[in-house]
Amino acid sequence: MNLSIKHFVYPIYSCAMLSALLLLAGCQPQLPEAARSGLVYCSEGSPESFNPQLVTSGTTIDIISQQLYDRLVDINPDNGDIIAGLATSWQVSADGTRYQFTLRDNVSFHSTHYFSPGRKFNASDVVFTFNRITDPLHPFHLQGGGVYPYFQSVDWASLVKQVEAIDDHTVVFKLQRPDSSFLSNLTTDFAAILSAEYGQKLLAAKQPAQIDRLPVGTGPFRFREYQKDILVRLYRNKNYWRGDTQPEQLVFDIVPNNARRMAKLFTHECDIVSYPRVAELELIAARPDVTVQESTSMNVGFWAFNTQKPPFDQLAVRQALAMAINRAAILQAVYYGQATPAYGILPPTSWAYNDGLPAPVYSPAKARALLAEAGYPNGFTMDIWAMPVQRLYNPNALKMAELMQADLAQIGVKANIVSYEWNSFRQKLGNFEHDSVLIGWAADNPDPDNFFRPLLSCAARDSGSNRANWCDPAFDEIISEALLTANQQQRRALYLTAQQYLHQQQPLVAIAHSQRFQAISSSVSGVTINPYGGIALQHAKRVEP
Amino acid sequence: MSKFRLYLEENNRSPVKQLWREFRRQHSAMTGLVLFISFFAISLLAPFITPHDPYLQVDELLLLPPSWSAAGLVQYPFGTDDLGRDLLSRMIKGTSYTFGFALITVAGALVMGLILGALAGMSKGVKSSVFNHILDLALTIPSLLLAIIIVAIIGPGLMNTTWAIMLALLPQFVHGIRNAIDEELKQDYVVAYRLDGANDWHVLSRLILPNIWEKLTIMATMAISTAILDIAALGFLGFGAQAPLSEWGAMISDSLDLIYLAPSSVAIPGLLIFTAVLSVNLVGDGLKTAILKRRQS
Amino acid sequence: MTRYLLRRLFLMGFVFLALSLLAFSLGYLFPGDVVQNVSGLRPIDDNQRQQLISYYQLDQNILQQYLAFLGRITQGDWGLSFSSQQPLLHEIKLLLPATLELAAYALLLSFIIGIPLGILAAFKPDNIIGKSISALAMVGYSLPIFWWGLLLIMFFSLALGWLPSAGRIGVLYEIPHSSGFMLYDILQADINYRNEALHNALQHLFLPTIVLATFPTTVMIRFVRDAMLNVWEQNYIKTARAKGLNRGQVLYRHGLRNALLPVIRQIGLQFSTLITLAMLTEVIFSWPGIGRWLIDSIYQRNYPAIQAGLLVISTMVITINMLTEILHAFFNPLARRG
Repeated sequence: MNLSIKHFVYPIYSCAMLSALLLLAGCQPQLPEAARSGLVYCSEGSPESFNPQLVTSGTTIDIISQQLYDRLVDINPDNGDIIAGLATSWQVSADGTRYQFTLRDNVSFHSTHYFSPGRKFNASDVVFTFNRITDPLHPFHLQGGGVYPYFQSVDWASLVKQVEAIDDHTVVFKLQRPDSSFLSNLTTDFAAILSAEYGQKLLAAKQPAQIDRLPVGTGPFRFREYQKDILVRLYRNKNYWRGDTQPEQLVFDIVPNNARRMAKLFTHECDIVSYPRVAELELIAARPDVTVQESTSMNVGFWAFNTQKPPFDQLAVRQALAMAINRAAILQAVYYGQATPAYGILPPTSWAYNDGLPAPVYSPAKARALLAEAGYPNGFTMDIWAMPVQRLYNPNALKMAELMQADLAQIGVKANIVSYEWNSFRQKLGNFEHDSVLIGWAADNPDPDNFFRPLLSCAARDSGSNRANWCDPAFDEIISEALLTANQQQRRALYLTAQQYLHQQQPLVAIAHSQRFQAISSSVSGVTINPYGGIALQHAKRVEP
Repeated sequence: MSKFRLYLEENNRSPVKQLWREFRRQHSAMTGLVLFISFFAISLLAPFITPHDPYLQVDELLLLPPSWSAAGLVQYPFGTDDLGRDLLSRMIKGTSYTFGFALITVAGALVMGLILGALAGMSKGVKSSVFNHILDLALTIPSLLLAIIIVAIIGPGLMNTTWAIMLALLPQFVHGIRNAIDEELKQDYVVAYRLDGANDWHVLSRLILPNIWEKLTIMATMAISTAILDIAALGFLGFGAQAPLSEWGAMISDSLDLIYLAPSSVAIPGLLIFTAVLSVNLVGDGLKTAILKRRQS
Repeated sequence: MTRYLLRRLFLMGFVFLALSLLAFSLGYLFPGDVVQNVSGLRPIDDNQRQQLISYYQLDQNILQQYLAFLGRITQGDWGLSFSSQQPLLHEIKLLLPATLELAAYALLLSFIIGIPLGILAAFKPDNIIGKSISALAMVGYSLPIFWWGLLLIMFFSLALGWLPSAGRIGVLYEIPHSSGFMLYDILQADINYRNEALHNALQHLFLPTIVLATFPTTVMIRFVRDAMLNVWEQNYIKTARAKGLNRGQVLYRHGLRNALLPVIRQIGLQFSTLITLAMLTEVIFSWPGIGRWLIDSIYQRNYPAIQAGLLVISTMVITINMLTEILHAFFNPLARRG
């Protein structure tokens, strides 16, 4: 019959089928030598900057801090002690206002396609790094907006009088007043050491903006490329002073969607996944090709009110809203039981934890009465801003917001859920465009001060990390006083008062302290999680199955 | 034995009846019609027939599997979502959002299209030429892209999506109606009617509209399937219906996070969108065939 | 033909004029500060603002502003992206090839599969093959593409583990950027893992291409089938049959040429659908193309990027539409009228 049809159609078909078969045939992951010793970390977002001084988001910190940079001092993840980093030793003067650091010899900065260092790391790099934060005349001070959020939130500029290089290997920090959290602040991921030589080279080339885009540090990896919203590629730093970096290549694959991140782990497109969904932990644990690491972490997820905006400037309204929320349901539906309910912002693992705080009450009836008392018998309309991404302290803010929306409807408050893309979200939060926001905080260091000053001090309000837009001199006084002494007993007493005060004022509603999880392909070993910040990948390696 | 008939009477039935007869002969089209009518009924009756409140969060029943699995409950045939809301009720309610709003969108676009199309079709000269060129521009930009741009300007939300898709569908309606009117205007009977002293309005209402309604119906069915797909796609992208509305596309994107725990909560809403679009397309295809056959007979 | 060309070119000029007006007005339609929306720079201090206002001639009348806008667009100054503060044109140049690559393969696939199937369906419309092809086309025509993509990912990536779920190539393969077209870049790159990279890139290409090709393929099948059935009714076919040619010969010599001529125009019409669907496909497969970028820009309220994205995509769609229409007219003198 239709010979010609066959002639016409079949060659095309067999061709298409053949290519399809070819594609499907060799489907085992065949990595070339260069890629085999590389690792892929699937991250939930793009870094905002490559300079840790300028950022606060954990996403960025995870990607850049531990990998590209070193700090003067570090924290021993096992016991929380402060240990040597780029400084080998340090002395504190008797009055607690002079810290002298002896620096490590023979540490090189990264040699990359845009910079090759002409000298080793020395004291001038430390001075360069910290003067950038405090010295308005520093050539790079205004670069990147001149805002150093973490340092502003701990009032760094008024604390540090001078950073001085005594000789190449000795640096002295002179403080205005004693501050018991000073060393802890130096261990945070934000206190990364930059290269002064690179800075000078950029100034000479009239490209100062490059310093935060093309980073040069001393860390275990050096920067290779960044494609926005796609990936960050790092190479191994062969000359790393700690010496034992394993992966030749470290790629941060940027996958904002949670489900998709898990999918990539299951299809072996990722080796490590940040923040696996707690809902799926059982499922993941059942898979032979994936292991789940669990660690206790100091964090708190909370609901902050914009306390400058009516009606949230009224204490009764804040208390009413706090009482309207059914936390038991939230802990079950959002955290899947993998979190402890929060009574205050400080987690129970902290030495300054106040175990005398009363458990939060859930009572829509009382809440309604309080609202009526505050002049809103018929409720009002408000926005709940919910983070678009999963964070350690809040695995699913949108879902939490939906639960709260239903709870609030019970007391006559109509809540609208608002969400933006993560970077614009934080930008808008910084401008205090919100009514209330579901967000949280993960500790950068074990010092309790890390929960109070960055979150609720007046200084933090100006730097934008005080999501409650709350500034109370009485509270500021308590937490500043706690810094003046190194005596832990005295400090503890003050922090207990501070927690009690927060409980009364309710600028935010603490919801939960969550466990931290990391899902890792079984073929990768040596990943360590720092309980006070980012993830360290220098020892990670692929073990041949 | 058949009766002796002097005249062939078959073709003297009304066109609608003839059309229906041709339509009825196609099984696929009839299946589509039954589905279409059921979707329509569900979207109208949704508030009354949901077994549970689609927005009620039951804390004790999170992520209940469908009732055909061992752990499921009979009261919750499709199980519950991760907030403890009944999925069946949400899907029923979703019918009004996805399917119902698609119908409203198309109806709106049709009315506006008729007015503009009639104006364009009946007018002549430079005005019409400029209008046509603007139309051509709008036609080259895909409807979903146009809708996305409009939503980007006026902000997300189901109502805004409806307006956006309505506007996005408009050019093709206007274009189609204008062409159909153009074609009709060339017919001899129109000329004859005009010679009888009929004005534009008479020509339009008495002659043209009755003659182009078939084309309109086909255009409308095509547009409904586009509208369903666009509403769902915008909902999926997060530009359409916002939480907690259970629009089907938004439901899929909500349940994406649960793809491992509850794959059925991704699969079922998608299947619904598919079935709804399929039913519309089957009806549309059936109509096309029926019209063709009627013309031939 | 010349007259036809001139008329088309005139029309195209007019369409571009209207498009530029639309894009221009977007800067004012979007919420927020006009200076920011137009320049993309932020934050803006007062000093900069004055400079920008005079640079963008925002203090002039609206016609002046529009002319300044046209001048900037043609000179390649498209402003900055809100989110990255990089020049938009530069970003688009990096992203566009990925979309074009995907769309081109999908279009090709839809032709390779759609045309033969359409012919087959038309050849025996009432037997089992013809009917099942038509049914298949109907199913494909009704599939919501995002759901279809998810199903394929669930099956091929998650359940079977055969194919990757996202991206253009495994991230560990570092491919030097030259043209932006992945396969071409791999082939001409100086790397020692070229074959592995190529294989990996093809694996990544497989699912997105299939998903994106589904809708155009079914449209193609339906179109070719209808066109063939239509041609089959024509008198010249009947004449040919009467002359004694068998069905195959008639089909080949008379049917195909006449039925497939309108297919050229379909390229243009399909392309615009393809670009919209590509946006969804890119979102589902995290394909780093202009569609996903545009969607992300909307999430980020990145107004300059939305404006630029609209301009690029529409220009592309209009140009391809016009080109195929001209091509069609070139082969088919009948189309030059009207």
